[in-house]
Amino acid sequence: MSVGDITRVRNTYLDAQYRTQNSALSNASTQSEELSQAQTAFNEPSSSGIANQLSAFWSAWNSLADSPTSEAAKQAVVAAGEQLTTTFNQLSAQLSTISSQAGEQYNSLAGAGGEVESYATQIAQLNGQIKLAEEAGQQPNDMLDRRDLLLDKLSGLANITVTEQPDHTDTVSFGDAAQPLVESTKVNWPQALTETAGGQLGALLGLTGPKGALTALQTSLDGVAETLASTVNAQLSTPFFSGKTAATLAVAVNAGEVSASTGGAAGGNKAALAIAALRGGSAEQDYASLVGQVGSDVRTAKDDQANLQTTVTAINDQRQSVSGVSLDEEMTNLITFQRGYQASARTLTAMDDMLETLIEHTGTVGL
Amino acid sequence: MTDRITNSMATASLLNNLNSSLGALQRTSDELSSGKTILEPSDNPYGASQVIDLNSQLEGLSSYATSTQDGISWENTASSAMSSINEVVARVRELVVSAANGTNNQSDLNTIALEVEQLTESVKQDANTQYAGQYVFSGTSTTTAPYQAGADDEYQGNHETISRAIGSGASMTISTDISTLLGNGEAAGGDGKLLDTLRTIAKDLQGGTPADREALGSTDLTNLDANIETLRGLQATAGSTIDQLQSALSRNEDLQTAIAESLSNTEDTNVAATSVTYANEQAAYEAALRAGATIIQESLLNFLQ
Repeated sequence: MSVGDITRVRNTYLDAQYRTQNSALSNASTQSEELSQAQTAFNEPSSSGIANQLSAFWSAWNSLADSPTSEAAKQAVVAAGEQLTTTFNQLSAQLSTISSQAGEQYNSLAGAGGEVESYATQIAQLNGQIKLAEEAGQQPNDMLDRRDLLLDKLSGLANITVTEQPDHTDTVSFGDAAQPLVESTKVNWPQALTETAGGQLGALLGLTGPKGALTALQTSLDGVAETLASTVNAQLSTPFFSGKTAATLAVAVNAGEVSASTGGAAGGNKAALAIAALRGGSAEQDYASLVGQVGSDVRTAKDDQANLQTTVTAINDQRQSVSGVSLDEEMTNLITFQRGYQASARTLTAMDDMLETLIEHTGTVGL
Repeated sequence: MTDRITNSMATASLLNNLNSSLGALQRTSDELSSGKTILEPSDNPYGASQVIDLNSQLEGLSSYATSTQDGISWENTASSAMSSINEVVARVRELVVSAANGTNNQSDLNTIALEVEQLTESVKQDANTQYAGQYVFSGTSTTTAPYQAGADDEYQGNHETISRAIGSGASMTISTDISTLLGNGEAAGGDGKLLDTLRTIAKDLQGGTPADREALGSTDLTNLDANIETLRGLQATAGSTIDQLQSALSRNEDLQTAIAESLSNTEDTNVAATSVTYANEQAAYEAALRAGATIIQESLLNFLQ
């Protein structure tokens, strides 16, 4: 008896399904992760977020309107303004950091020596070895398994399409790259990708792109800062705020230059009243809807992630169902074969007995 | 549905379920320990912007309440100063009536004139009343006393108004233009206002001519009565301002209660319901752990000898 060959039990349709969904899952996870970081940076609802500081800022102006000549009230207005602008600056810096880190992450994955290149190189090498082994009539199961595993990993980085060639090498197209990433033993990398590449790389490009969610948050925040500065400054003869973006917003005056009125006597409070009346105005509404936007961005990404996770788990279950090892099944087979072997051995014993009878106990013919 | 159930499937699925059970348990525990259902905007995006909006309204109301309270104190100060002026003017009227009707000799009249001059000075002092370091009757020139002591009766303030914010988009004028009552004295060439009238009365008392005595009972008294009318008008305005501020304050308190309630409905944890959920999730998690500990250990191997 000889062991003929061990064939791999695999369903290539399920493999393709798994890789497509894994790519989408990795895309959603990356988005959810990056946007969650942005959401954390906003720090809302809390007592130290911009919303609360805006409220305190309006209250400081209202207190100044109550005592327009009080130095303490002027100090309080400047202090509230500075706290507010500092928070705007910090939030803007945090959002920039998240964006630039996403860019760095893309570079480290897709750049020279990154994961894409490393996986592609290994796949190309395996392609060569598998081709040789198949030509020699062998079954390179170990290498095929390793190649499948690498392809699974690669699918997390971007959408991939795998085409098996007649010589048993895999051609891998990657994201929306113009050339196949792996062709037989050749690796075409680096290539340009866009946000439609899918997977982690597509998500990183999409978030930081001109229409990406992170960029949109930064733009909206700049809009809030500009509205705040222009509506407040419009009520005063000396601008209170300088800067038109969240990163550059600053208090332009010191306590001595703060005035509750535009000219006139010291006790006038019309300007302070007008600024206090900006409470609940467009700057605040825009900010509240910005926070709502961050929330629903994160919510959507998390929901997508959860749904895709379920899908990927289900497909993986199906793959396991085809390829995986069931101990019960194997043990049952083992016992079946063991019994079969015992039965064969018993047959042999029976024949031996019969032959012994024949040889030992029959008469001595012709002797 | 999958046909074959392999051991790694069972393990992976158990792990997955354990993770989601524990995740839900942790979430509920966060809600219970923080007392809030909205811990970050993604928990309820619309709710989060509502919470921001409601918090801002609440902070605004408390700021308006402070201003309204401040306005009431200001107006009370002004009102009591005007009451004091009213008393003074009533005393002057008594003196004028008695001087005009009585049989006082000139030295008595001179004594009365002296008292009238002192009363005039005290009217000016009342007009210089301050609230929290601000002259309440100077318009917006709150750092300048409206009247100087002595013979100069000219109004030093301006005619601008001062308001307090009493609600979102609502403000109330709290300043009283005292110059409509006191005027600019003789400097204005005799404007018939209170200070001018008081000075004229003192002069007529000291004058000693029959014409002067005649004037005391007629024009002076008429002018004084006209000024008392003006003063009553100012007092009535101040009184109604105080009423309005007080009703704004009580409306403010009602609103604060209502908004605090809707804020609590939006972001606070319903402790009873969440505790029940927590108990359920805990039971589910324990069951999953128990099942896992039993099932994963078992395979046919355990039963083969």
